[in-house]
Amino acid sequence: MAAASDQSNENCHYQEWMHLQEEELSELTQAAACATNAELSRLVDKIMSHFEEYMRQRQLMARADVSPYYAPTWCTSLERSVLWIGGCRPSSYIRLIYALCGLDIESHLTDFLSGVHRGSLGQLSPRQLVAVDDLHQRTIREERSLSTKLAMLQEDLLDNPIASIVVAAGGGNVDAALDKHGREMAGVLEEADRLRLGTVKEIVRILTPRQAVDFLAAGKKLRLCMQEWGKKRDLDHGRTT
Amino acid sequence: MAGMCCEVNLAETETSATVQPSSRSARRRGMEIHQFKFVHSDSAVAPPHSGSGKRKRQKFDAVVPVLPLRESEIRRDQLSGEVEPEAKQLRVSVQPAAAAETKPEVAPDYPKFGMTSVCGRRRDMEDAVAIHPSFSGPNPNFPDGMHFFGVYDGHGCSHVATTCRDRMHEIVKEELEAAGSSSWERTMCESFLKMDKEVGSCSSGRVGSCCASACRCELQTPQCDAVGSTAVVAVVTPDKIIVSNCGDSRAVLCRNGVAIPLSVDHKPDRPDELNRIQEAGGRVIFWDGPRVLGVLAMSRAIGDNYLKPFVISEPEVTITERTAEDECLILASDGLWDVVSNETACGVARMCLQSRKPPSPPRSPGSDMTVTAAGESSDKGCSDASILLTKLALARHSTDNVSVVVVDLRRGC
Repeated sequence: MAAASDQSNENCHYQEWMHLQEEELSELTQAAACATNAELSRLVDKIMSHFEEYMRQRQLMARADVSPYYAPTWCTSLERSVLWIGGCRPSSYIRLIYALCGLDIESHLTDFLSGVHRGSLGQLSPRQLVAVDDLHQRTIREERSLSTKLAMLQEDLLDNPIASIVVAAGGGNVDAALDKHGREMAGVLEEADRLRLGTVKEIVRILTPRQAVDFLAAGKKLRLCMQEWGKKRDLDHGRTT
Repeated sequence: MAGMCCEVNLAETETSATVQPSSRSARRRGMEIHQFKFVHSDSAVAPPHSGSGKRKRQKFDAVVPVLPLRESEIRRDQLSGEVEPEAKQLRVSVQPAAAAETKPEVAPDYPKFGMTSVCGRRRDMEDAVAIHPSFSGPNPNFPDGMHFFGVYDGHGCSHVATTCRDRMHEIVKEELEAAGSSSWERTMCESFLKMDKEVGSCSSGRVGSCCASACRCELQTPQCDAVGSTAVVAVVTPDKIIVSNCGDSRAVLCRNGVAIPLSVDHKPDRPDELNRIQEAGGRVIFWDGPRVLGVLAMSRAIGDNYLKPFVISEPEVTITERTAEDECLILASDGLWDVVSNETACGVARMCLQSRKPPSPPRSPGSDMTVTAAGESSDKGCSDASILLTKLALARHSTDNVSVVVVDLRRGC
């Protein structure tokens, strides 16, 4: 049956992606230990192109059938509960920068006061901080506009034509209405993915290669941890995925 | 508006047109000086680390587990960061970010300052900052070299704060010109009252010049009376610092390593403020902290028509004589003060300024580079201070917008 194979395709695609995340994390960790700036740059570029390719394939599949991407069965309940339009909220990437920057600074405040500086993201330069803040505010604005679009699509479901199909019992093509709605949902998903990709790209551009490596490593680690924690919680509550 | 630091902003805005860029070689000299801090770091006395802010927030711990960073590579990284090409553009001059109209040549006693303002962990930017060196212009009645610094922390929406940013210094200037011999206190009170009236009439008229920018309250009510802003304004003259405050932003003077607050936050549970509110017939209700009528967590503000007469716009004004021991003045919104004590802030700012101290006896044989770079580098110090304080506030999980202005008060720098 076509539906079953769609489902497994999507699932496979996702599992491959998560597997790639593990590989990339160890690559990033190793590189952070010894690589030169040029090597780090290349690694960051490679990881970004993987991300881009993943987004591209995901888009193609979502166009065929978008619903699973809004409520992915391949994620744990914990992960599903924090999704924003089928993925991570782009502004949260900036919060990750602040968190990393903060860990560096807070743990070394005494050193700072005596003039010793260290930490890679703690070294966010004035220019970088300004650029991050600017990106942050733009990202939030775009998120808001996408959230509004999604809200309208969700409201559309209870309006005509679908409402009239239900109330007038049988007059109208349900599949056509749902397909049209699905295409619009896929459009919003694409925009959200574009915003996610664009935000990470810009972050990586703002950061130095070393900072970018620290940032990407932390992001992937978080991602993998969420999955791990989610699995454990699902098991604890007797849910199997 | 996005946060910025005065030096950074230069490279990107129209203000840069008026700037006299220093020569490439001068910039390079600046960069070389810059690195001296690693060799010659003044041993600034670290003040006691008083961790928690005065207010409700208890958890400052960052929550994300990350890999430990390795010190050696990081140092290397920083050094290489110093010479990254874009960094060169930064140290150009001190042309103020907010004062495109000021001419570069007015400044015999040019103030050195740094400014940072970021959205931080909030989803709305409601802070605004105004910096206007020599804002009163040449006027026989007033000593030349009066500088204006203001930090405004809006609530409800951003438009009152941005109107204050755009107008307050002009109103103060007009009041100064009209005031003749009347006292600073009167002048500043009049200015704040006028500012408040302007904001009030603009919100009831809504014809919209002040709200031309996208502001979210427009979507909610036709009259956004439930919008206001704190205001802490410092006028720095050659011999005095006049601080006028309304709300819970704060000005702190760092004098010989000691933090001296030049304003007292207007919290509704401050005994005298509580009294005043009750005498006016209002109440302070504890609802997530003390709030006027259970709504506003400060007892004075610009705007907030709906809470009048309990919330007033009359500022408290302090006048402080400058001394040779004054190091810097810090103005900031509560995004900083909630999580960083006055003492820690002074310690950080002082450290940044001292590590940029202009070397009066040249420290190194290469003395030619130390001479010209002095002015530039001490300004870099102020920017460093404002940035570092902002980063510290974010590090301590400040959940608000963070705006910090640091003004160098050392003489003969």
